[in-house]
Amino acid sequence: MLDFFTIFSKGGLVLWCFQGVRGPAAACTAPVNALIRSVLLQERVGNNSFNHEALTLKYKLDNQFELVFVVGFQKILTLTYVDKLIDDVHKEFRDKYRNEFQQKGTLGLLNGTFDFKEDFLRLLREAEENSKIRAPTAMKTFEQSLKSQKTVKSMIETRGEKPKEKAKNKKNKGSKKEVLGTEAATVPSKAAPDAKQSPSAAAGDREELTKDEILQKNREEFFKKRLKGGEKSNKSPKPETQKEKGKKPRVWDLGNSNAKVLDYSNSTTNGNTDTCPTEEFDPDVALGDQDREPGRLYDLEYESEEEEPEEEKVIQNPSQSSAKKGALGGMFGMLKGLVGSKSLTREDMDSVLEKMKDHLIAKNVAADIAVQLCESVAKKLEGKVMGTFSTVTSTVKQALQESLVQILQPQRRVDVLRDVMDAQGHRRPYVVTFCGVNGVGKSTNLAKISFWLIENGFSVLIAACDTFRAGAVEQLRTHTRRLNALHPPENNGGRTMVQLYEKGYGKDAAAIAMEAISYARNQGFDVVLVDTAGRMQDNAPLMTALAKLIAVNTPDLVLFVGEALVGNEAVDQLVKFNKALADHSMAQTPRLIDGIVLTKFDTIDDKVGAAISMTYITSKPIVFVGTGQTYRDLRSLNVKAVVTALMKA
Amino acid sequence: MAAATGEGRSGLQPYLDSLRRELQAPDPTLLSVLLALLVVGLTLLIWKFIQGRKSSRRAVLLVGLCDSGKTLLFVRLLTGNYRNTQTSITDSSAVYRVNNDKGSSVTLIDLPGHESLRLQFLEKFKAAARAIVFVVDSAAFQREVKDVAEFLYQVLVDCTVLRNAPPLLIACNKQDITMAKSAKLIQQQLEKELNTLRVSRSAAPSTLDSSTSTSGVTAQLGKKGKEFDFSQLPMKVELVECSARGDKAEDGCADIEDLEKWLARIA
Repeated sequence: MLDFFTIFSKGGLVLWCFQGVRGPAAACTAPVNALIRSVLLQERVGNNSFNHEALTLKYKLDNQFELVFVVGFQKILTLTYVDKLIDDVHKEFRDKYRNEFQQKGTLGLLNGTFDFKEDFLRLLREAEENSKIRAPTAMKTFEQSLKSQKTVKSMIETRGEKPKEKAKNKKNKGSKKEVLGTEAATVPSKAAPDAKQSPSAAAGDREELTKDEILQKNREEFFKKRLKGGEKSNKSPKPETQKEKGKKPRVWDLGNSNAKVLDYSNSTTNGNTDTCPTEEFDPDVALGDQDREPGRLYDLEYESEEEEPEEEKVIQNPSQSSAKKGALGGMFGMLKGLVGSKSLTREDMDSVLEKMKDHLIAKNVAADIAVQLCESVAKKLEGKVMGTFSTVTSTVKQALQESLVQILQPQRRVDVLRDVMDAQGHRRPYVVTFCGVNGVGKSTNLAKISFWLIENGFSVLIAACDTFRAGAVEQLRTHTRRLNALHPPENNGGRTMVQLYEKGYGKDAAAIAMEAISYARNQGFDVVLVDTAGRMQDNAPLMTALAKLIAVNTPDLVLFVGEALVGNEAVDQLVKFNKALADHSMAQTPRLIDGIVLTKFDTIDDKVGAAISMTYITSKPIVFVGTGQTYRDLRSLNVKAVVTALMKA
Repeated sequence: MAAATGEGRSGLQPYLDSLRRELQAPDPTLLSVLLALLVVGLTLLIWKFIQGRKSSRRAVLLVGLCDSGKTLLFVRLLTGNYRNTQTSITDSSAVYRVNNDKGSSVTLIDLPGHESLRLQFLEKFKAAARAIVFVVDSAAFQREVKDVAEFLYQVLVDCTVLRNAPPLLIACNKQDITMAKSAKLIQQQLEKELNTLRVSRSAAPSTLDSSTSTSGVTAQLGKKGKEFDFSQLPMKVELVECSARGDKAEDGCADIEDLEKWLARIA
């Protein structure tokens, strides 16, 4: 039934491997590598199963001895015993080879022969038989499996309160509505329809909680509430009417007195708006810092401050005493249990993790992602032996910091200049498409990037594919004029360095982009920057249009422009943009977002969480960071700087 | 006692006499204390000197991209056996006894090659590097040339590496595959690619060497104004062909003699 079961060290050595189906010996390597790369190295360890092609992989980490246990089976099979099997094998394996791991280190792993087959087959047989016994009661097998127990537990701990509250709210609402609807209150008549409606509403919540106890509790609570609701129904109308009275005067107060004061519109400027101050710009202002070497992207600057140690929970580390006792073998285990374990447990970490989660959220990391990250760090640390003199807080902090660096590290080579050179060698333009929601600074950063490219001696064609927003083309025209003023053709051998390709408003963006690219190819431009209209991620027709633009023109780079101010919304934006691109593309492997431009980075001080949120979702690099108003305010991301800012208390 | 020495230092002849008397006294506590302190200090100094000499840079790092065969090479060097491997998540290290008459040993460290880990681990171990083995997948070289060059560039411009200048060996692994590129070709292509990278990277500095880039100076690779080649580097760069897998895969032995010889030389 199982395709394979493999045990390997985190260093990458396969210690033992069981092949359930016949095939090449390395058949399990590819799926396991996929698991490592897309789950373990991406800090997505929270959930313990992973799908790869036709296989489902389940895994378990042993942090004390740095081992990974992976089992793989066909996706269509629902094997209920797998979780138990993996736990059993884990226990058996580490007990059997404990000495090898502890004493000899890496060499022990290298030289050790792990003849585990018989033990494994025995465990597998036991597990399979157990599952067969349970087979008739189909529904219960899942409940009894370890996985379901875990989820229920976690539900009780973290969200256990919520469903109940929900149920409460629903009931309250339901009863209130009725009370309001028919002002005259007769308690018994209301209670009857209430009882009919609410159970059905609460039923959805109840189904999630599979334990009967919870059901029972909910039911009891519900009955209590219902009685209370009935009692309340007499009182509730009064406060409602009072509220309504209170609201009205507040609104009118403000409106009446301040209407004129608030009107800032100035009639005198109206006539002059057409002659906007485009021509009278000061090149110094537009360029910003003149000292900087031209054509270079600087890293974000940061000051690394020594973190002050917070109040730390010191776990008594009995390593010294245990070292002596280690010789006593069996005694050691007992004493260890008495004195307190050296290895980290979930309970030790929980409070610290909670604090870290709040800290991350305070730094503007999206809430879901903060939760997932902390979960992942916990999984990575659970069972790990702490070093002497290290506290739980410092260990968790260290691990979190490493995870953050790992997330921000680009998964893909980002060297736009190198690729542009490559394209130049092939005599074709390098096409970059910018997309994002409204008002995040697509056009502005497009202008900055074209300035940077021009400084490096590449000619740029800007395709104005924002055919929707009023003034979008004019904005780009202004930028083009300024950029040409800064880099006049005389300085570049008579070549116009930047040109705008425009076709007015209301046209099909994809067609304009295509024409622009062919124009660039004919005219020998090095880079085409395609500016698209801003769109909300929920706007289906516009998202389809964007997907079409990208599918038709196959740009070399699709950049998602996102502002650093964004919080929880970042998740939604990126997920939906990626999904739209995937859904609407006809190709086998859909074209997704290749990189991120993080804008308005100067406005957020040290709340740099958006960088984490965005890279975590897409695992795509942040290619550029916009940090100000001038053309030179374009930076590349400095991983250290961001992580330091994030961890700073 | 302390008062006596204080006076002896600041005062004149009579005080010196008294000091001499003190020293000649039957119980020269002062002298013994001073002597003890001196001995302790000297011992510490010598200890530190020896320790610093011995422990500093005894490691040979195995670096390279994912799937270039670092872990298998690591296993082959240490045990000579063939083992199946997966993508590494952490480093693994072991003492490697070199095949030379001195019988010296180095610590072999296998670093993970995954993009999100390699720089972090390089950062951790670079200070201890006595030598670096850069493993290249010769069979997939054509496809990966840009990535290989970029990682090599990152290794080479690292300021710690530049300062210590550990000898670098580019091990062109997987020579058992028929389509594998030869070491000579790999050298040419890498030099060419590093030359281009030098240009594009000076315009957009790598993100990790913040210490240098914030001050506005990035380390220059090789000589300015000249086509790059490996001889311009401060460290000695060599290329060898090897095959960690060997011709007969599981049963056969690896073809890593050149690599072993090189390790014996640098140890």
